[in-house]
Amino acid sequence: MFLFEYQAKTMMREQGIPVLEGIVATSEQRALDAARELGEGPWVIKAQIHAGGRAEGHVGGSEDLRGIEFSNTVLGVGQTAARMLGKSLVTPQTTRQGETINAVYIEPEIRSELQIFLAILIDGERGEPVCLASVKGGSQIERDIFDDPNSLVRAPLGATNQIALSVGHEVASQLGLPSSSIGAFAELVQQLHGLFVARDLSLIEINPLAIRSNGSLVALDARVTVDDNALYRQPAMGALASRGDQSGAEERAAKNGFNFIPLDGNVGTLSSGAGLAMATLDAITHLGGRPANFLDVPPVLEVSRVKEAFLLVLSDPGIKSLIVNVFGAGIMRCDTIADGLLLAHLEQPVSIPLVMRLAGTNAPLALSRLERSGLDIQFAPNLASGAQMVIDAADSPPAPRQTDSIAGRLTQWITRAKEGPRS
Amino acid sequence: MSILVDESTRVICQGITGRQGTFHCERALASGTQIVGGVRQGKGGTSHLGVPVFDTVAEAIEVTQANASVIFVPPANAAEAIIEAADAGIGLVVCVTERIPVLDMVRVRAHLKESNTVLVGPNSPGLAVPGVGTLGIMPQGIFLPGAIGIVSRSSTLTYEAVDQTTRNGLGQSACIGIGADPVGGISVSQCLRLFMDDDQTQGVVLIGEVGGRAEENAAEFLSTLSSVKPVVAYIAGQTVPEGRRMGHAGTIVHYGLGTARTKIKALQDAGVRVVSSPVDIGSVMAESLGR
Repeated sequence: MFLFEYQAKTMMREQGIPVLEGIVATSEQRALDAARELGEGPWVIKAQIHAGGRAEGHVGGSEDLRGIEFSNTVLGVGQTAARMLGKSLVTPQTTRQGETINAVYIEPEIRSELQIFLAILIDGERGEPVCLASVKGGSQIERDIFDDPNSLVRAPLGATNQIALSVGHEVASQLGLPSSSIGAFAELVQQLHGLFVARDLSLIEINPLAIRSNGSLVALDARVTVDDNALYRQPAMGALASRGDQSGAEERAAKNGFNFIPLDGNVGTLSSGAGLAMATLDAITHLGGRPANFLDVPPVLEVSRVKEAFLLVLSDPGIKSLIVNVFGAGIMRCDTIADGLLLAHLEQPVSIPLVMRLAGTNAPLALSRLERSGLDIQFAPNLASGAQMVIDAADSPPAPRQTDSIAGRLTQWITRAKEGPRS
Repeated sequence: MSILVDESTRVICQGITGRQGTFHCERALASGTQIVGGVRQGKGGTSHLGVPVFDTVAEAIEVTQANASVIFVPPANAAEAIIEAADAGIGLVVCVTERIPVLDMVRVRAHLKESNTVLVGPNSPGLAVPGVGTLGIMPQGIFLPGAIGIVSRSSTLTYEAVDQTTRNGLGQSACIGIGADPVGGISVSQCLRLFMDDDQTQGVVLIGEVGGRAEENAAEFLSTLSSVKPVVAYIAGQTVPEGRRMGHAGTIVHYGLGTARTKIKALQDAGVRVVSSPVDIGSVMAESLGR
């Protein structure tokens, strides 16, 4: 779970970590007031979305408005906020549709000579949290680290609940920080680690951390991801999640426990298991097709939830065909998938060609139920042929346009059923 | 010789009385896996599926001489269950439970450093040695005793690789789903070591995913060996947009490390044949073995 910057900074402020005074604004008027309350200016206006890369992102398709903007005048703060609010921000870390900006965060602008990147996250290979730091803080950090992985200082933090100040001292000296800031830096690393452990975080990151001429530190940005698996014991974090903004489809997916990501293509996909879902996208893309979504339905017993999964993926007006790729195992049985599809079809007649690749537990039972359904289904013996079939189906001439009335849809469906499944 | 599981493996199930534990133990028993008991605090002295149930792992070992455990307990208690099994001296622990908080697994990993217990998982489909036994949730009826070792970070793709190597007649020596969590037990490299040392295994299928550094480490390990059995790899998520979460915490791509591109390059440099589409795993493996 990704927190907004202002939520992350509130958490840090409570821990005693130096952050600037800032104000959240959801309207132009509030932004104007905020700028006045914060003093003289200049100010920085930051779009609040659940993704990074804001300084490199564009608001509402505009070339000249980024997700982070600066202003020297109160009026400019209001105008910038007005241009951002309600618009979509597309960054390298969002989908191409971007995320809607429902709030901006306004802070005084700080200039500093030295900008540090500092993060704590889980190092999966070592099985412990690790502190990463670099003197090349800022929005280019990922590229810098990719080009020169050795520029990154790494300090393993172990399984302890509290790390020693010496850890931060060591990192600071490897970074070559000025001696006037080393003490504060060491304390900061300890505080960040304290939050990381106490709040079950999977990432806490300050980029950039400004080091001012007097040696004092201040976090200019803050990024926090909470371990979703630990939300059951972090009720305060869970409450923040409910205020998140997701697209309607993503919210529906989250409510049902599906992993769903809308993409830009025309081939719908529904799989069980994240690995198989990714493999489905890879197989389609490899053959020149364009997946419309990633959808991983976790193993479920309830047919009603499988139905929801079908309704979700079919609600995308851009899809021209759909592949279902399920390997029945564990509690996930192929007949549950078939029944879910039939229920979805009763609620919302399915008018696009389907390709089913069902294997494993109860696959023959599922196939026999679907064969009798009259739906436009091709059965694929394996993923290879399934991927080709679903791409061909998407590229074939489109079915007659859907009318809005239920009667119209039923008529179409009945006509199609009479024609029988295509070979 | 066989991989992790052989005829002497005596299995207990922690969480045997739950829905998942019951379902999978029933199937494992039917397929011949030696499940000798179960553990569920408060139900000691009863029996379930025809095997005795104990309050603790230690009691279960004392009575049944169990040396392996498969864990189905809920996520909030799973870390403690792993530690209990290790402390009681169980040599092989397979943890199926998913959604365990990652900091709990950090604690487990630190604890296991002091023990000889091998942990497979968590968030793992388990492991199967065809013809000998299945610990976990892998479906019955898709395996064929044979020549290929399969190690996988993705549950459902494991079955895909099994299916393809069964259909083309190669069969499997063992199939290990190491689990999809960022912090887990046995690594891809450790599994490769087992396969390289195993007489029955002639070739290895490695199923990786974007995120983490498991494949890079595996490539590094392979390049230290003087002779290597053919390895065919597939990295899931090559077409996934970077920085987006694909259902596993382990697949978040951080800071340019662990992208499909870096993994494929590292593996290819180590002599691994990397297939770009999952549909080619079985056929390329057969080709590598000259079949």
